Amino acid sequence: MIADILTGALRSGTSVMLASQGELISERAGVINLGTEGSMLGGALGGFAVTVWTGNPWLGTLAGGLCGLLMSLIHAFLVITCGANQLATGLTLMFFGMGVTAFFGRGFVSEQIVGFNPVPIPLLADIPLLGQVLFNHDPLTYLSILLVPLLWLLLFRTRLGVIVRAAGEREEVLLAAGINPQLVRYAAVLAGGFLAGVGGVQLAVAFTHSWVENMVQGRGVVAVALVIFASWKPLRAMLGAYLFGAAQALQLTVQQSGLPISPFFLFMLPYLLTLAALYLVELRQRSRMPEALGRVFTGTSGG
Amino acid sequence: MKATAALATALPEGQAPRSPRWRPALRQTLIILAPFALFAIFLLANGVNPLLLYRAMFVSTFGDLYGFGEVLIKATPFVLTGLAAALPARAGMINVGGEGQLAIGALVSTGFAVFLLGGLPSWLGIPLMLLAGAVGGALWAGVVALLKVKGNLNETITSLLLNYVAAFTVGLFVHGLLKDPESFNWPFSPEINWTLRLPIIDGTRLHVGFVIAIVLALAVWYVLGRTRLGFRIRVLGGNRLAAERAGMNVSRMQLWVLIAAGALAGIAGMIEIAGIEGRLRPSTGVNYGYLGFLAAWMAWNKPLRLLLTAFVLGMISVAGNSLEIGSGLPSSSVHILMALVLFFLLGSGAGRKVKT
Repeated sequence: MIADILTGALRSGTSVMLASQGELISERAGVINLGTEGSMLGGALGGFAVTVWTGNPWLGTLAGGLCGLLMSLIHAFLVITCGANQLATGLTLMFFGMGVTAFFGRGFVSEQIVGFNPVPIPLLADIPLLGQVLFNHDPLTYLSILLVPLLWLLLFRTRLGVIVRAAGEREEVLLAAGINPQLVRYAAVLAGGFLAGVGGVQLAVAFTHSWVENMVQGRGVVAVALVIFASWKPLRAMLGAYLFGAAQALQLTVQQSGLPISPFFLFMLPYLLTLAALYLVELRQRSRMPEALGRVFTGTSGG
Repeated sequence: MKATAALATALPEGQAPRSPRWRPALRQTLIILAPFALFAIFLLANGVNPLLLYRAMFVSTFGDLYGFGEVLIKATPFVLTGLAAALPARAGMINVGGEGQLAIGALVSTGFAVFLLGGLPSWLGIPLMLLAGAVGGALWAGVVALLKVKGNLNETITSLLLNYVAAFTVGLFVHGLLKDPESFNWPFSPEINWTLRLPIIDGTRLHVGFVIAIVLALAVWYVLGRTRLGFRIRVLGGNRLAAERAGMNVSRMQLWVLIAAGALAGIAGMIEIAGIEGRLRPSTGVNYGYLGFLAAWMAWNKPLRLLLTAFVLGMISVAGNSLEIGSGLPSSSVHILMALVLFFLLGSGAGRKVKT
């Protein structure tokens, strides 16, 4: 049973994890994007639709990522170019995503796909417990696990990472170096949208193999919350996402075991756990947020 | 879109200084019309004539009393959840929890109506039920407020997360404690007693809830604009440091502003039950919190403007139903129109005037 929950933690946490890594890039560059929810929905539908049409989940992944990217382009334009309020714009984008995907998704509700399925890694998958938990997943989950250390390297050990972080902390540095900080923010938001889109694809094409209206169910919001909980650190955001996934897996396990606990109480659990985690982190330390983000939250930022 | 862009550039340059008054007015008009034009393209692509839709929207709103009543019915919760977003916004906070606060308000008021208030006469039962709804919403917002004041957690994120918890809480009750024993396993509460239903205006489905909404909007407008308390709230929203230096207890103000906002949204939940549905369902008031939030932003968080924007969103919502019936498009397609309207407003910088 514990193995089931841990495996499920990865399987159902991966979509949130991908989205939170994307959001992390965007927030490091100084843009908070609550529209992540909309990007995930766009990615889920786009990825599912292309998988239905072509039968190729990799093409679906690409399409889903691009849908997420296009969604976040709206956010980037309004926030960076027009200087609109980030939180309000993100929420509108979330709502836009709900409307657009409900509209275009009608025809896909009853479609079935093969999509991505778990591929056990030879030898490693035979290790007791660990093998099942870590080495028996769909390809997107493997890739997402590799992504986290790569992202960490990129953000903290490369020149590109310094540029992204400078856009969120000290844009004077970028201006002095002859780099346009707005351009960097655009790139970061779009990269975030792409990853959120791929997260949506994982949810629809690899995890549930279906499209249901509004299927993301707040995972995008959770992803944004997790970035704060993780103090803008990729590895911690990954842990947080798997914690959320574990709570979801627990819900399935308890339901199957027939314990007399209302399923609705279990549905709440992942969201409550996320809240509790946020609270505990905040108690321990006032986490240091990128300066440009701090201005968004205190309302002293124009954009 | 092309036409509007061409129009904007076709204006002779020399005219701007001579008539500085109508230039911004033209800009405003374009910002309002552009989303409708974009949505028209969207409808055309789906084989629906947008002019027919926009005409139907207008006629069904102003054509007869019944249609006008339907729009007011839709606009009522938007006003209240809009106030729940606007009031904290003026104090520098973003409350997106209207959705959950409405749901819990509806849940608590239904609970009281079913178990306690059924035997009471209307003059006593309805106000008590309203109070129950307000308390429910206030409690839910109180969680957000406490997390903000004690835990320093951002209210935007926590109120959003709690919306999901609220929806599942309603599910928990309508499948459990509050389930109608005669419902053949359908998840809804028993019907509340007719004495608790809001009075209805003849010839429509319109209930007096919209009067409550207007009165509360006027009250919030009065408090914000004409009282010392409102002045302090606006100072807090304008500059938190200045508020602190002026000796205000910022935490306590934030706490009570959020709780008041929750109460307003909770009342919206009560009105949905007592005015329209008569019983609690998992679908009661879904999305009304988000739509109210959008209405508030469209109104730059001003209570009186909110009455107007809520009415417009009400019109669009009713049109959504006719869209579904008339052309087979899902009613959710009007969410796209609403989002487009807001994108243009946000992009035009309207939201930035919020803190004045």
